[in-house]
Amino acid sequence: MAIEWNRRRFISAAATVVGAAAMAPALSACSGSPAPQTGANTEPGLRAALPAYLPNTAIRPEIPSVAGGPDVLTDAGFLTYPANPVATVAGVPGRGGSYTAVTPLWGTVPSAGNSFYQAMNKALGVDLAMKPADGNNYNTIIPTMTAAKRLPDWIQLPAWWNPNFNLGGLAGTQLADLTPYLAGDKIKKYPNLAAIPTAAWRTGIWGDKLYGIPGFATGLPLAGIVYYRRDILDAKGITADQVRSADDYLNLGKELTDAKRGVWAFDDVWTYLSPAWGVPFRWKVDNGKLVHKYEMPEFLEALDWHYRLATAGYVHPDALAGDNANASPRFYAGKTLIQGGGAGNGAWNVADHESGTAATPGYRRGAFNIIAADGKSNPQLFLTNSTSELSYLNSNLKPEQIEELLAVANYLAAPYGSAEYTMVNFGVEGVHHTRVNGVPTPTDDGKKNVQAQTYPFLASPPQVISNPGADVVTKDNAAWQAANAKAVYKPVFWNMNVALSQALATAEAAQAVEDTIKDCYHGKKKVSDVQAAIAGWKSGGGDRLKQWMTDNVLQKYGTGQ
Amino acid sequence: MTDVLTIQRKNGTTRVPKAPARSRKRSARPAWEEPPTTVGQAAKGLTFAGVLAVVVVPLWIVVVTSLSTQGAINRAGGLVIWPDGLTFEAYSQMLADTTVRSALLVSFGITAVGTVVSMAVSVLCAYGLSRARSFGHRFLLTLLVVTMFVSGGLIPTFLVVTGLGGYGQWWALILPSAVSVFNILVLRSFYSGTSADLIEAARLDGAGDWRILWSIVLPTSRAVTAVIALFYGVGYWNSFFNVMLYMPTDSEKWPLQYVLLTYVSRGNGMPGSLNAGFGTIQAQTAPLALQMAVVVLTLVPLLLVYPFMQKHFRTGVLTGAIKG
Amino acid sequence: MSTAVPRRAAAPSRRNWRFRLRRDRSLLLMTLPAVVLLIVFNYVPLSGLVTAFQEYDPLVGVRYSEWVGLDQFSRLFTDPLFWGSLKNTLYLSFVQLILFFPIPIALALLLNTVLSERLRNFIQSVVYLPHFFSWVLAVTIFQQMLGGAGALNQFLRGHDLGTWDVMTDPGTFALLVTSQAIWKEAGWGIIVFLAALAAINTEQYEAAAVDGAGRFRRMWHITLPGLRGVIMLMLVLRLGNALTVGFEQFLIQRDAVGHDAADVLDTFSFYYGIATGNYSYGAAAGLFKSVISLLLIWGANRLAHAFGEDGLYRK
Repeated sequence: MAIEWNRRRFISAAATVVGAAAMAPALSACSGSPAPQTGANTEPGLRAALPAYLPNTAIRPEIPSVAGGPDVLTDAGFLTYPANPVATVAGVPGRGGSYTAVTPLWGTVPSAGNSFYQAMNKALGVDLAMKPADGNNYNTIIPTMTAAKRLPDWIQLPAWWNPNFNLGGLAGTQLADLTPYLAGDKIKKYPNLAAIPTAAWRTGIWGDKLYGIPGFATGLPLAGIVYYRRDILDAKGITADQVRSADDYLNLGKELTDAKRGVWAFDDVWTYLSPAWGVPFRWKVDNGKLVHKYEMPEFLEALDWHYRLATAGYVHPDALAGDNANASPRFYAGKTLIQGGGAGNGAWNVADHESGTAATPGYRRGAFNIIAADGKSNPQLFLTNSTSELSYLNSNLKPEQIEELLAVANYLAAPYGSAEYTMVNFGVEGVHHTRVNGVPTPTDDGKKNVQAQTYPFLASPPQVISNPGADVVTKDNAAWQAANAKAVYKPVFWNMNVALSQALATAEAAQAVEDTIKDCYHGKKKVSDVQAAIAGWKSGGGDRLKQWMTDNVLQKYGTGQ
Repeated sequence: MTDVLTIQRKNGTTRVPKAPARSRKRSARPAWEEPPTTVGQAAKGLTFAGVLAVVVVPLWIVVVTSLSTQGAINRAGGLVIWPDGLTFEAYSQMLADTTVRSALLVSFGITAVGTVVSMAVSVLCAYGLSRARSFGHRFLLTLLVVTMFVSGGLIPTFLVVTGLGGYGQWWALILPSAVSVFNILVLRSFYSGTSADLIEAARLDGAGDWRILWSIVLPTSRAVTAVIALFYGVGYWNSFFNVMLYMPTDSEKWPLQYVLLTYVSRGNGMPGSLNAGFGTIQAQTAPLALQMAVVVLTLVPLLLVYPFMQKHFRTGVLTGAIKG
Repeated sequence: MSTAVPRRAAAPSRRNWRFRLRRDRSLLLMTLPAVVLLIVFNYVPLSGLVTAFQEYDPLVGVRYSEWVGLDQFSRLFTDPLFWGSLKNTLYLSFVQLILFFPIPIALALLLNTVLSERLRNFIQSVVYLPHFFSWVLAVTIFQQMLGGAGALNQFLRGHDLGTWDVMTDPGTFALLVTSQAIWKEAGWGIIVFLAALAAINTEQYEAAAVDGAGRFRRMWHITLPGLRGVIMLMLVLRLGNALTVGFEQFLIQRDAVGHDAADVLDTFSFYYGIATGNYSYGAAAGLFKSVISLLLIWGANRLAHAFGEDGLYRK
């Protein structure tokens, strides 16, 4: 239950501009509580705090990255794994300190003190107690920890929960300022951290100071894309190139839906397809003026189209009933043929390939290109934050302890295919993995204890596309990224952190409007109902939010583009 | 009067073969009861058949799905109704996990200790409030009932428990939720019904409240005591919320339900665009078979415990036996 | 017997509270552990209620959060979504009281007439199992059976009989959730009534049968009076809990029928309070609910007394 809720919450609330509750300045000034956080960053302040960028070129991918627009870069693709991984760190990074680290883990927790943790401690030269917590409840666990001031030495806080964690308030009170250690050329001491693109570091900066260490940074972060069952549509002679407009999608709905046989063309696609109407994530700037997406006629058009899609009977009834948990099995079973999903490795990966082929041997996932709804304008899709995975150090740590942990982070961020990467992601050869056809393949011990959501959640190199055993996925994914990178643009306030007061954060989340929108694209409410909800939202805080954003963010800090 | 007490205790623990209640065993109808009508029997049979069907069919689906291969589940596009490909994979994966085994011990420990603590506190409190017109009982009842409806919220409770040093401590899983006012009220309502004659007789006999509770009230209300113990036991067995608050990162202290939750929640709850984006090891959401196996594993201990509780349902008829 | 009564009778003892205190000291001692636990873990945290009068920020704590007086309440009482969820809650509570409340009692009575102990035990231990299913699973099963692509509708579709998507119809939502609740909880609910049935003396039945009372008269004059105390207790508690109709069940099905039909007070505080970081708004809604609930239980108890019943405690 919370499961589904979290996912929706992300889509409605997280991302480009994150709100965090700030306390009332008047009160905090006289009460001796921590100084209020502005959150947003000035251009010069940002430049002073940002680390230098020194890309790592030691290991060359088979499919190199392709540049799209400014700051847009596709993920590199790897079809093989280096036979003799090179080391990027000399000696052990640590000096024997003892620390605890907490990460969210959506899965089975490895047992404490297992052989992999021991091997890692030896390789890192520290006694780092990994304490993963259940990811589903993470947004409940952390606020209690911070309320009781019980944060561990090193913690991972996913950015989509920044408002829940009040990250703007934590930065500078409970989280350590890393600017003195990493700003500008200082980061050269940690070459693997320096190879993380600048854009990702921006998401870790609050009030001109650097706090977060980004993981899984990507040059092509997208809210998600529209996938289809390529094996089935290919057999019908339908290719991705033929779908160029919203009308084409509607026609596909008609052609592919066969309710009697239990097949519906679509699962939920609103989040993934609505940008085709030119709808931004939240804000856009028109003639120097800030416009919220709710105020755009394009937004209502997109909504109307999705309403028609649902009421025409082209969307699977379970999706309309809000059952997202079984969206993947529906897709694998061929009960739906078109679905939205995460970009990058999000939905398009070897695990998906294995699940799909387990149901249908010829299973192949394909993605439609980014389109413009009218079929004539330039196709476009906005970027989201360059990373959603940031880790932070506790402000109680001494400077030499921070330096020791940053050296550990540098080890963890070693590039794909290096000796350190192999250790962090696959463990010790012969114990946690063996080489099968040159590819590190986890043993039973490895499957249990070596998990991507432990050490890599603290620090990791930029994302790559790599699906050992399913090259077709790597090639398809890389080809899609290369073909679509040009259609991706930087939205306003991109990668900017903004701390909002509670009332403004409530207005930004616009729960009542988002609820009505969902009812609308599920065919239960009309567009006019959404318009009414939007009118209520504007008078109930939306207009104030816009004014505040204009005065305090747009005027002072610009659009961040 | 002393005799009454002796009989009382003896009857509480031993079976009296001549008692009419016993004769109900093995469908033997008591002599005084008229034979059932055909229509009545048929209606009853149909009702129970219907009730059983709506429960058994979903159970069947859950069990079949837990035994299905991933291929079978993906072909069905969700829960499996007709067995397609069967495997014990999900069960062996869980039972081979050392964490599950230690968590099982933790769960048994918490359930046993917690149930004993809760029962002791609740039985005493319920009896303490069950005597009519005793001093302050209305005030205390109000004090209890208010807590059913008013709560200070998650964070204040958390701060109180951590303030008392409960963070990471076993007692934090038991004491904050040891008292269920609902259970006390149910117990109290049964205890109030315990025959006043018996109690007064014992009192004249010189028995104090502790003795009365132990020798008269408890033996005559074994059914409700068993029911409330079951309520508490199930509550402790299933609880995980306090674990999440007070020991979210100490995986060696997690009880079974919390560990099983991590099996079910694999990959879930991550935002759509990131789901499964971290490497390829175990990145996919939890297989449905595993989720259903968790459900089955949760049901097994309950199926084992329930029969032990049931037998207490037929022993609470002694009060009248004495009166008559 | 009659000589024993005065010891507890009102007249002599009410004169002197010191006497009553001394007389009942062991009873009071018995309540002590529970009272202490409740004071520490329920009453001390009640200080958190003051956040309803603040713009609470957990990071700075109660002491440093801004005081806003009754602002949260005035916002709450002008919020149409709040009134909508209150309306839904009361309506659902009413439907549940009428349709759900009698079922465990009826099932327990019916079960009590099954003569074979083995059969009775079997039925008993099967019907209570759905209680241990999570709501996610329960709703998934309902969706698979009754959903737009479920067994029922695929059958109707296959025979060109038109379809009826029960799971997404806001008009019948109250019936749907009540039947789900019955399916999941009725079997569990009978346990406490079975315990009450077990306390009834079987000889009374025999005596009545000898006197010529038939099956139904015996049920009416012996069984039901035996259950009366428990039924009244449950009824009073149910009325006091009229503003609580469930949470997870509605959270999960909110998307299916839309938030207008599915939002109840608890989901309202969750979505518009805690989930969006509006702790104080959620606390205000919670405090409102607490006050009304206390009034309800007080009223229900008074009502029970008016009908000559015990309710929560004897009059």
